Amino acid sequence: MEPTSLLKTAVFLPLLGAFLIPVSNLMSKEIRNSFSVILGVMTFLSTALLIPVMLNNPGFSIGARFPLGFDLILTADMLSVFMAAISSFVSMIILIYSVDYISHYENQTEYYTMVVLFLGSMMGLVFSSNLIWMYTFWELTGFASWRLVGFFRSEKDVLKANKTILVTIFGALCMLIGILMIYFENGSLDMRVLRGDTVSMLPAVLILVGILAKSATLPFSTWLPDAGVAPATVTSLLHAAVLVKIGIYAYARIFGVTLVAPESFSQGVTLLAGLSALVSAGAAFVETDIKRIIAYSTVSQLAFIFLGLASGNKVAFAGGLLYILMHSMAKGGLFLCAGIIEQKTRVKDITKMGGLFRTMPITAVSFALCSLSVMGIPPFGGFFSKFLVFKGAVESGNLLVLVIFLVGAVMTLLYLTRLFYLVFLGNAKENAPLEGSPAMVASVAFLAIAGIALGLAIYYPFDYVTVISTQLGVNLQ
Amino acid sequence: MISEFLSYSIVPLLSALAIPFLGRKNEKITEILANVTILAGLINIGYILFNPSNHRNQYSTFTQDGFTLLMIFTIYLVAMCVVFFSTRMNDRKIDKNSYYPLIMLSVSAMCSMVMARDFFTLYIFMEALAVTSFALITTDDGRGGIEGALKYFLLTFPASALIIIGLALLMIVSGGFSFEHIQAQIIGAPDFLTFLALSLILLGFLIKSGMVPFHFWTPDAYQGSYSPVSAYLAGIVTKISGVYAIIRLSMFFKLFDDKAYKASEMLLLIGFASIAWGAIAAMRQKDFKRMLAFSSISQLGYILMGAGTFTTLGIIAAIFHLFNHATFKTTLFLNSASLEKNAGTTDMKKLGGMEHNMPVTSWTSIIALFSTAGVPPLSGFWSKIMIIIALWMTGSEFYAAAALIFSIVTLAYFMIMQKKIFFGKANPEFAHVKEVDFTLLSPVLLMSAIIIAAGVFFPYVYDYLANTIATRMVI
Repeated sequence: MEPTSLLKTAVFLPLLGAFLIPVSNLMSKEIRNSFSVILGVMTFLSTALLIPVMLNNPGFSIGARFPLGFDLILTADMLSVFMAAISSFVSMIILIYSVDYISHYENQTEYYTMVVLFLGSMMGLVFSSNLIWMYTFWELTGFASWRLVGFFRSEKDVLKANKTILVTIFGALCMLIGILMIYFENGSLDMRVLRGDTVSMLPAVLILVGILAKSATLPFSTWLPDAGVAPATVTSLLHAAVLVKIGIYAYARIFGVTLVAPESFSQGVTLLAGLSALVSAGAAFVETDIKRIIAYSTVSQLAFIFLGLASGNKVAFAGGLLYILMHSMAKGGLFLCAGIIEQKTRVKDITKMGGLFRTMPITAVSFALCSLSVMGIPPFGGFFSKFLVFKGAVESGNLLVLVIFLVGAVMTLLYLTRLFYLVFLGNAKENAPLEGSPAMVASVAFLAIAGIALGLAIYYPFDYVTVISTQLGVNLQ
Repeated sequence: MISEFLSYSIVPLLSALAIPFLGRKNEKITEILANVTILAGLINIGYILFNPSNHRNQYSTFTQDGFTLLMIFTIYLVAMCVVFFSTRMNDRKIDKNSYYPLIMLSVSAMCSMVMARDFFTLYIFMEALAVTSFALITTDDGRGGIEGALKYFLLTFPASALIIIGLALLMIVSGGFSFEHIQAQIIGAPDFLTFLALSLILLGFLIKSGMVPFHFWTPDAYQGSYSPVSAYLAGIVTKISGVYAIIRLSMFFKLFDDKAYKASEMLLLIGFASIAWGAIAAMRQKDFKRMLAFSSISQLGYILMGAGTFTTLGIIAAIFHLFNHATFKTTLFLNSASLEKNAGTTDMKKLGGMEHNMPVTSWTSIIALFSTAGVPPLSGFWSKIMIIIALWMTGSEFYAAAALIFSIVTLAYFMIMQKKIFFGKANPEFAHVKEVDFTLLSPVLLMSAIIIAAGVFFPYVYDYLANTIATRMVI
């Protein structure tokens, strides 16, 4: 296929296909489920096929004209393809896992529609190189996540869903003001034109508010644990592995490869990220709800990615990008394991679990492998990304920030060990549950193995992100 | 008056006269006649607007004002939805032989109003429209509608007085009311008296359109009247009778250039006050229809701010938002009518969990509320962002940012509504409630489709606005 048609497929297939899911439901449930999974697989394939194209192509754009400089421009370059491939891969695994997991709940059609719509708007966001369209798809993902968080519709769930959308849309509106300021100051919204321009402090901070709200970093971090706990695990996964990455991606796209922000801005971001890493790691320590712990762990790990992207040198930037990849795989795996455990034991409180290793060996091993990757133990993929982020941060040399993050990394190690010990080791409780269904267990095992495989074959992804940071990065040392 | 389009106001007028005679024996004839009249008009105006060759030629073949045409289309569109909905709702309490003629009369009056080429004609038809509105508000007697109608009635007197004085002054200064006359007068010698006359007229229309602080009749009128009538009033009638004239006047104030900056400031202030007050008051409402009424006040604020910039972009943005407001507010009010029909109430404290009983109603209200809150890519987003950009370009950055931030309040009160009515815990009392049948859903489905289409095909809408309105502002 032509690269341009691959790009069109990746964005418009899930975006438009989502609205055909309710139609396919009229035929039969099986057709609807397989149609949704096929949409996910096709999206992933088209983004994956773009990777080899990007290796010897500086990037290309397609677009439609809109008035007032609001043109819809989709650009495939190394960064967008990288991000699109990761998020569509994780979404594909989620869709496969969902077929079993979601099969005994209500509102399934809406669920599939929203997951695929979410995937489509994620693709649109990643590929669009016009700020106003980035904002548009940003809001669409917010809409899809609103419906997904409120999936169970109890009073509490709907309240948390409303909290999620109000926090993220408040952030998005601040971001829109920032975008408009750029529109009037720099005269364009096209990021290809804006590349290399400087941006003043106020619009940068306003855009940052939107990014922090979406990626659940301090001071907007509270909605993620809330949202991640109420509904199905799969939804939590969307949040931990894909939704929050939107903020990270927007940061990399806007401040990493397009606009040059003031020096003090990046320093502020690293400091804020450091605080976020510490506070949420502390919260993960004291929580007893398995999904809240993993959600807080996400907030804490996201801070490491921010550190990498904001440090202002190539090594750290490459490390931050690599971190996105490794964290998506590992955190996706952890959440899906938690989903299996919750479905089988019907409790979320880790103090009431124990000894699950004997009855759920595959889940336990997958959980352990994913945890090791998040902790950053060699030879797992997570080690290399964390190492690169620290190496880059040392070079840019802010000692305080570095110490904060080292403490954060040690705490990660501790709370994940505690979690694993309480859930899988220790004394078995009565009537211990059996392993989950084959498709679900296979999904988590696959993600866990992908974590090691990426660590062992680190050369290829490392090479790729290094090229991104040298070719696309602006104002990096 | 634009004579070639006179049929848009004459045909419904004739229909209004014919209905009481023809439908005396059989009410079916009344309903068929009303539907056919409006549908014919809608198809007719739709053909003019959506003929693809017009877009190819950049609308150069259009001899008429695009604003008028778009408004005629909106009037017929909302009237069609309301009339069709009312026939299918089939409420026994309503006297059909007076209800449908009243709708026809008000369609006729509105079309005449937007076709008027001078302020005197415009004023005459506005009064005619006001009379039919009073009658429509009190269709469903015995409710709070009469209170709203009375409040409106009392408020219109000072407003009419102001407009009449303004018109008299205009006659003295420029020797005529016609748009050409006034335009020539302003361009030739922009004097204080013309400005004063236009300002008095503007003030009168501000009162009529229910802006803060003259808003207290709208919630009573909308909540108390028969549900399809609320949709009709909120969707189009009050917008044409007040806001249309304000946008028209702002086209003249634009000719004063910088000299009108005080008037601009005043409009922006009133607009912002309406946005803020309407949105905050809407959060506190317990009744769906009352909440929608306050939301309507808040959205009017955006239109006023767009028009109040007195710039080309602001004015076409206000026109686009006026159109969008007609689509999403009609959808929401008709949904409230469906709720009232099948669940028997619009009280948010009693309702709950209706999404399983009424899935289509739930989804169409989600689309409409997201468009109201300005979530892209729906139509409401584009009109709102155009208004914000227009504000920004005239140097009112603060108003632009504040208006944008108030979108979150809009979203918040609609989230409260959606949670209480559609998502919340199902009330066993309403367990038997079913979705209304397809014919009742078709108007809201049509409106939802338009909301999405106007958003996704925004370049076409913008082309229309730019080529037919912006380039030939005023005449």
